[in-house]
Amino acid sequence: MGDSNRADEFIPAALASLGVEADEIELAVIGAAHAMFWPPILELYAFDTSAATPEPRPDLSQPPAAR
Amino acid sequence: MTLLDRPLRDQAATIAAGEADAGELLEATLARIEERNQALNAVVETFPERSREMLAAAPRGPLHGVPIVIKDEWPLPWRAQRFGAAEMLAPSAPGESGPYRALRDAGAVVVGVGNMHELGSGSTGNVSFYGPASNPWNLERCPGGSSSGPASAVAARLVAGAVGADGVGSIRYPAAYCGLTGLKPTFGRSAMAGHHMADYSTMIVSGPLCADAADARLLGSVLCGEELAAGEARGLRIGVVRDLVSEDVAPDVRAACESAIATLAETSGGELVEIELPDLDASALAGVLIANTEGMNGISPEKLNNLNPELSPLGRGLLKYRMLLPAAATVKAAQVRALMRQRVAALFDRVDLIAWPSVPAVAPPLEAPLVELPSGVTTADQANVRGGALANLTGIPAISLPVGLSEGLPIGLQLQAAWGRDALLLDAAEALERANGREWVEALPPLAAAESAEA
Repeated sequence: MGDSNRADEFIPAALASLGVEADEIELAVIGAAHAMFWPPILELYAFDTSAATPEPRPDLSQPPAAR
Repeated sequence: MTLLDRPLRDQAATIAAGEADAGELLEATLARIEERNQALNAVVETFPERSREMLAAAPRGPLHGVPIVIKDEWPLPWRAQRFGAAEMLAPSAPGESGPYRALRDAGAVVVGVGNMHELGSGSTGNVSFYGPASNPWNLERCPGGSSSGPASAVAARLVAGAVGADGVGSIRYPAAYCGLTGLKPTFGRSAMAGHHMADYSTMIVSGPLCADAADARLLGSVLCGEELAAGEARGLRIGVVRDLVSEDVAPDVRAACESAIATLAETSGGELVEIELPDLDASALAGVLIANTEGMNGISPEKLNNLNPELSPLGRGLLKYRMLLPAAATVKAAQVRALMRQRVAALFDRVDLIAWPSVPAVAPPLEAPLVELPSGVTTADQANVRGGALANLTGIPAISLPVGLSEGLPIGLQLQAAWGRDALLLDAAEALERANGREWVEALPPLAAAESAEA
């Protein structure tokens, strides 16, 4: 199954499960956004962040405590 | 040159010295907005009586009597913010926001509200409830977003200073497109009270948009509630990254930025340091994910099913898509944030600044905000976020300053510094201005230049 087919199924199903309605134009926008965001999101899942010391509540005004 | 065309600091100093009447400056500013704004749509509302009242009550602060435009992102005592949208999906009501209080207490006069990209969700400014603002350098081009109106207003010399907001580059992109100096302060340093996301955003800050660094220092100091003291930019170690963010860039932009970086290193008696900062694409995505999910606070399926029909189709669709973003990706984004903060902190042990183009191409057309890069044609939003998100994700300060023109449109260079070193960015910007003979900070768009010459 191609990516676009998966998106054709995922988007209406996900919206329906949330109870969110979308018209044709909104669906087109959502489809375009999904095509743009989803591949990098999948890459993000595979991205190795194990070198980072967790910062559960970072103080963004300061450098991290850990280097 | 009229007082209205002079820098913010000159306006303040001239009024403070009793050499100009603040009331006359206010009336001239209102007349200038009336005259030029029709072509620009930079200012979406003025309120002359409120501004006159504000002036009458203005204390003798550092901006006494100086007119300022504020982005449609904060409430004013007489006006709720609209966030550039028909409906902003968060409570909004008139009130005293932090930036308003800072301006008022400094003696400034809020003279108008600046247009912005709808819901703050774009880097171009081509979508707004009020209609898009235009770029004064070319009215058919994007002014940048989301602080589109503040940038357009300052570039067209409607005012000498404006307050923007930067959640993912939203001060620096319009500064670059419009040929201005725009400062994104260190996270948490500048006034944010009253912003509808002030209590939970980890990305957004307020900041100044001005013609040059000295003006940005003055207005930035007011917004930060402390002086961003001027110093000498000596011996700057400037980190440069050999990556898409500096190389997948339009040739003229790349050449101008590389030349400016080299000039800054030379003029400060410093050096260029090649650094590695991998995974900027992941960093940009992390920033976008965090900003988008933080912006969903209080949004429910029911709200999404009852959106104001005057919201743009793009805005409606993107809001609904945000509901589909997986929580696991946002958790991963937080891990990327931790990683990038640690990497950036380690880099700032070796360098004072990290430099790359603010945006990889000059302002694209309003009708189709696409940019042509060596890698191909892409949307300006996708291209801009690569270099813009890191500062918001990590919390560090960043500045965009003008360093050239291409096709008659400004080119912006971004400098980033370690947490709390906001003043160093301004020092470096001023050093580069001096080295360039102030050529780019004094360049005027055609719309402003013709009348300035007549004055």
